[in-house]
Amino acid sequence: MLKIKEGSVVHWAVRVACVLAIAIFIVYIPTHSETARIGQFASAFTLIIAAMSLNLVLGYTGQISIGHSAFFGIGGYTAAILIRDHGWSPGYTFYAAAIIAFIVGCLIAMPVLRIRGAYLALVTLAVAVLFPTLLRWKKLEWLTSGAKGIDSVKYDKLPVWPFLGELKGRDGRAVFAYWLGLLVLVIAFLICRGLIKSRVGRSLIAIRDNETAAAVMGVNVTRTKVLIFGISASLCALAGVLSTLSTGVVTPDGQYVTLLGSIIFLLIMVVGGAGTLSGPIIGGLVYVWLDNTTRGIGTDSRGVVGFIFGWTNQSPATLILGLALIVIMLFAPTGLVGLFRKLSRRIVTIEPQGQ
Amino acid sequence: MLLDVRDVSVRFGGIVALDGLTFSINQGDICGLIGPNGAGKTTMFNVVSRIYDPFKGNISFDGQNLLDVPAHRIAELGIARTFQNLALFPTMTLVENVMVGAHCQGSVGFLRAMTRIGARKENHLIAEKSRDLLRELGLDKLAHHPASGLPFGTLKRLEIARALAASPRFLLLDEPAAGLTHSEVDELADTIVSLREKFNLTILLVEHHMAMVMRISDQVVAMEFGRKIAEGTPKQVQNDENVIRAYLGGDV
Ligand SMILES: Nc1ncnc2c1ncn2[C@@H]1O[C@H](COP(=O)(O)OP(=O)(O)OP(=O)(O)O)[C@@H](O)[C@H]1O
Ligand SMILES: [Mg+2]
Repeated sequence: MLKIKEGSVVHWAVRVACVLAIAIFIVYIPTHSETARIGQFASAFTLIIAAMSLNLVLGYTGQISIGHSAFFGIGGYTAAILIRDHGWSPGYTFYAAAIIAFIVGCLIAMPVLRIRGAYLALVTLAVAVLFPTLLRWKKLEWLTSGAKGIDSVKYDKLPVWPFLGELKGRDGRAVFAYWLGLLVLVIAFLICRGLIKSRVGRSLIAIRDNETAAAVMGVNVTRTKVLIFGISASLCALAGVLSTLSTGVVTPDGQYVTLLGSIIFLLIMVVGGAGTLSGPIIGGLVYVWLDNTTRGIGTDSRGVVGFIFGWTNQSPATLILGLALIVIMLFAPTGLVGLFRKLSRRIVTIEPQGQ
Repeated sequence: MLLDVRDVSVRFGGIVALDGLTFSINQGDICGLIGPNGAGKTTMFNVVSRIYDPFKGNISFDGQNLLDVPAHRIAELGIARTFQNLALFPTMTLVENVMVGAHCQGSVGFLRAMTRIGARKENHLIAEKSRDLLRELGLDKLAHHPASGLPFGTLKRLEIARALAASPRFLLLDEPAAGLTHSEVDELADTIVSLREKFNLTILLVEHHMAMVMRISDQVVAMEFGRKIAEGTPKQVQNDENVIRAYLGGDV
């Protein structure tokens, strides 16, 4: 078995090699793939951000939220409304969406999180269910356009980014969505990583592990839970903005705006690895891959596969992932990332510094 | 007088766990708190930690009314504790557990964590301090081991290290010797005395190992059914007839 010391030359070399490989992959996709593939990655980035945001609350702090689809929707609608009705430039809608979702998130969390137990799960479930109804509400139609949603979130011209050249049409939009999604993903990842690898992150995990002990150590449990919920809501709203900007459409029955969205974020997070930084990334990529390889399985397949999936004309990815979840929970309770770590530890171990 | 407990009563439904308990501890002393099972010793700890609210009475710490202070500000005042049945963070390593103990010593909040302003430096300082404390309690070899699946005695020592990370003035130890062998108990007693010298501590010690309590305490308070039944030097309490009766004539 190989042993590498943390911070040693070899450790840094491995790190640099990994980063380089990822960088090459990231540049390869939008320059060498067809538009559909680029679009798939763009939507993966969106889902990863949403799963990451949920990870802060559920994976690290142990507070169950089934309401993140509503924050995704708040982000999506904020962007659509500001661009359509108020002529905002798309870039600024991120800030507005983040602030609004933060406030809404804190307002939902504040009364609920004071009480221990499953109340948060129930309240957030209600939020997820009520949110689409609210969007369809007649009295709000002036704002949300009711059941038909907002589908005119188009820019006449895509912004010109120095290294991308001029982007045009459907292809251009996919490439733009890809890079924008990547940028937001990187920022969201750095925010999450910064939080986790700090005094704040330790207090989140402490709350998850033992709330009483965390309080005795001086952690203001309620305040921490409320703030992390707000930040999580805010990151999820960024994913919603991205979705609106890349597809140009938001409707009350968009799949990530309804309860199904919350469940998809949850699946991605848990299958990838709850309470790990890379878990949502792995989970998101696996989900989008599954979603695309199984699309049309119900209508196009013959034989046993066709028989099993004949009832659906949509992609059964959520169902498959749900079943996979049960298997994963049995054999790898820390998700794919945990499984990978366990296997790789047989080959290589990283020795922490200062031993 | 560092801690002054006046007429404190705690009720759980029909059970009176503490019944007008009054005692005080002088700065720098080790105070043993003894009593049969269910006497209310742990409840006393939980009142000082502000986990339970007494329905009557007063507690002052260094002149400040503790009942005005919320639970998460207790550590800041310099009060740290261990738990009878362990309250560790099982998914964290030993050193991370101790680092959480230093929470009240740190200052990086949400904004600074997200922007990484000063977060790295603080991590380094706290990690270093935590490793020193693990060494102090002979746990440095296990620093990066998860805090689960280790022997009870080891985890109890980890709790002491975690409590010390808050740089407390007042340390509450709830049965630190539980599950230790005779020689380990002696060793622990020496450790506690030396920690008091080194960190200038005042200690409230709950323990069923009478020999240990009597050896290292400056003052002993005996309880039964939530009430104080005796108080004084170890010798006085040992010979108190109420105490002997409470322990059913056992060798106190
Ligand atoms: N959270 C609670 N809810 C209800 N009753 C409680 C609670 N905590 C303690 N009690 C009761 O209060 C009384 C005192 O309990 P406590 O744990 O303080 O005793 P103790 O002196 O620490 O005993 P031991 O030596 O067994 O640890 C007991 O009768 C116990 O059952
Ligand atoms: Mg007890």
